[in-house]
Amino acid sequence: MPVVVPPPDPAGLPAPAWLLQVLLVFTFILHVLAMNLLVGGTTIMAISLRKGRNSAFHAELAKRLSKALPVTMSLTITLGVAPLLFVQVLYGQAFYTASVLMAWPWLSVIALVLLAYYGLYLVQFRPDWLGRMVTPIAWVSAVLILLVGLLYTHNATLNVAPNKWASLYAMSAAGLHLNWSEPTLIPRYLHFMVAAFAVAGLGIALLGVQAKKAQDAWGQEAVAYGARWFLGATLVQIVVGLWFLFSLPSNLMQNFIGGNIVHTAILWGGVVLAVIALLLVNRYLLGAVALTVLAITLMAITRHSLRGMYLQPYLDVRTLAVNPQWGMFVIFAVLLVAGLAVVGWMVWQFYKSGQPQKAAVE
Amino acid sequence: MEYPFWEVPLLGGGMLIGIIAILHVFVSHFAIGAGLFLVLTERKARRENDTALLEYLKRHSTFFILVVLVFGAVSGVGIWWAIGLVHPTATSALIHIFVWAWAIEWVFFVVELLAAFIYYYGWDRLDARTHIAVGWIYFAGAWLSLFMINGILTFMLTTGRWTETHSIVDAFFNPTMLPSLVVRTAVTIALAGLYALITASAVADEALRERVVKYASKWVLVGMTIIPIGGIWYISRIPDQAREISMGGAPVVTLFAAASVIFSAFVFLATLVGPFLFPKRFHVTFAFVIVALGLVTTGVTEWVREAVRKPYILYNYMYSNAIRTDEVQNLWETGVLGKARWALLTDEEKRDPLKMGEKVFRFHCQSCHTVNGFNGIKFAVKGWQKDFLDVQIQNLNQLKGYMPPFLGTDEERHALVEWLYSLNNPPQQTAARR
Repeated sequence: MPVVVPPPDPAGLPAPAWLLQVLLVFTFILHVLAMNLLVGGTTIMAISLRKGRNSAFHAELAKRLSKALPVTMSLTITLGVAPLLFVQVLYGQAFYTASVLMAWPWLSVIALVLLAYYGLYLVQFRPDWLGRMVTPIAWVSAVLILLVGLLYTHNATLNVAPNKWASLYAMSAAGLHLNWSEPTLIPRYLHFMVAAFAVAGLGIALLGVQAKKAQDAWGQEAVAYGARWFLGATLVQIVVGLWFLFSLPSNLMQNFIGGNIVHTAILWGGVVLAVIALLLVNRYLLGAVALTVLAITLMAITRHSLRGMYLQPYLDVRTLAVNPQWGMFVIFAVLLVAGLAVVGWMVWQFYKSGQPQKAAVE
Repeated sequence: MEYPFWEVPLLGGGMLIGIIAILHVFVSHFAIGAGLFLVLTERKARRENDTALLEYLKRHSTFFILVVLVFGAVSGVGIWWAIGLVHPTATSALIHIFVWAWAIEWVFFVVELLAAFIYYYGWDRLDARTHIAVGWIYFAGAWLSLFMINGILTFMLTTGRWTETHSIVDAFFNPTMLPSLVVRTAVTIALAGLYALITASAVADEALRERVVKYASKWVLVGMTIIPIGGIWYISRIPDQAREISMGGAPVVTLFAAASVIFSAFVFLATLVGPFLFPKRFHVTFAFVIVALGLVTTGVTEWVREAVRKPYILYNYMYSNAIRTDEVQNLWETGVLGKARWALLTDEEKRDPLKMGEKVFRFHCQSCHTVNGFNGIKFAVKGWQKDFLDVQIQNLNQLKGYMPPFLGTDEERHALVEWLYSLNNPPQQTAARR
């Protein structure tokens, strides 16, 4: 079977490839942070709803998570739009092809997200008629979200496998393929999902810190509980991460174990940061959070490099024609700064309004 | 044909996009108008110290959050998903031409979204002035994201001077950009009123219900009055051929265009004689009837807007089947299957005209036609003999102005004729009859 790769779009890139790559990786990191809080948070909320029948701590945790998760879902979706835009600009040849091959499962992501999202709102508003159904509904949302993650891993792994495309398409044009035969599929999926529980643990610990500030006894327990999730998940990640690394095709894996000094340093730098965060989490939470965000940044860069290595024999973004639209880019950059300022002002107003008593006392 | 073609049985990919898009349009336009509705009504309620009206607005904003932030946002992403799967080449073109416009739209959307959340969760937290300010920010963000999307969407029908200059400014500020913006803004106002009729009709207090029903109906009437003015301006700016298609050139499209006008009139009249004149007797069932009429109007109108763009997907630049106009010369020589590498023709298929014809159909015709379902080709060619099929295919674009020319080689055309003929005359049956 021949390897068929669609030709690049004749319009060319609207900016140099490096700029689009920076924007892609940067917005991807933002998306992944929100996604982690959502994936881990929803499952932990479902667990706490059940445990909350006997535990005041878990009942309170479930309540607070239920208020935070719909907004987190919204942020995950919205922050996902930007990297999806840049991925289509840079890697559309791979993205559209892989997506068409798994068209129905890929399109089902929309329906799954919609259902999971409404489930989250049901749990938050918890109308009277819901009764005890609230726990199963939270689980349905959690499972749907985990399923969406799996479909994303299918898509991502199919994206970087141009050698499989033609034979899959020759079998069927109905858009029902998945990538089960891919050896990296499961470790890659687990790598992302386990990370989500670690990050969500940090998120819970931060909710605890906030509660402690408001003289809320619940906060102390939440900090400890969140840290436990972070510790547990990160320990599991050591196994899963190594599994993922060693499941890579050996010529690509070599780049991360000394074959290429830069790629090796970035990957293992991320690992070291995560381990330091592990040691810090019970003593200096904010430090652990900062190190984790840095570790995720290095991992996102590694993921990006890996995609380049996979695709190298078939397509290379550095060779794409460039027709820069600098004027439009400047307008975008200015509006981005202005937009963030407006968002910052609104969030500040909202935050400030949450502390009325304190202000009155002072 | 540069990408693998996704076969969607019965519905066809275009219809799939249409279903998602119509539902999205119906909610997303409400999302924008509702911003204006909420903020202006809140201002009025606060100025008049009308706590009952404020309470209604709070409840209305819960409805708004559940419809807009969930269904509106997710279905919007859904359109993007669907167009990428059904029309990857055209989607890629729109993404590449408009990357920064999409990125700017994303900024507005982020602002819109966060403002919506802060407005909603801030009802009891923020002071009145700040709350109203956040409401205005929401409306500004929402309308500006319409402003951006509208420029990209109208480009598809009126590429204007862009085909020569390839300048993003010409692409964005294309001939129908402004009139379409007027129409869509008016639609947002009408839909804000339409949805408010639902929540208003559920208000328990009779006096308040009557007041809000009447108030909401005025929004519908104002919006519905502006739409035809913008609409006439819009129609005056679309390509001649598009206008001809909607006014007799293609009977189905003409019917739908008429339906669009008729259903708009229904919405206007139903609102006038219902909630506007008799707000006291207004009932939630009636509200849903008007909303249903509004959905049908949106559906047929968007359908016509899509249909008149034929034979193009991006006017004068790319045909509906993803063939760029500048590729036509080449295709006469290489043929469809020479270009469509995803046809993955085997030697056996090359020798069998029926199999080859099926592949020609997939890459040349199937982006608009299904075999058995919507716009099904089997039904369309029923009773056609081979020589008639051949003449039709050779002169597609002349006989049917809304179809692109057939661009295959002679061999491919013969294969397509054989395959099309076989749909209604299966080979073994023909043999048996002989």
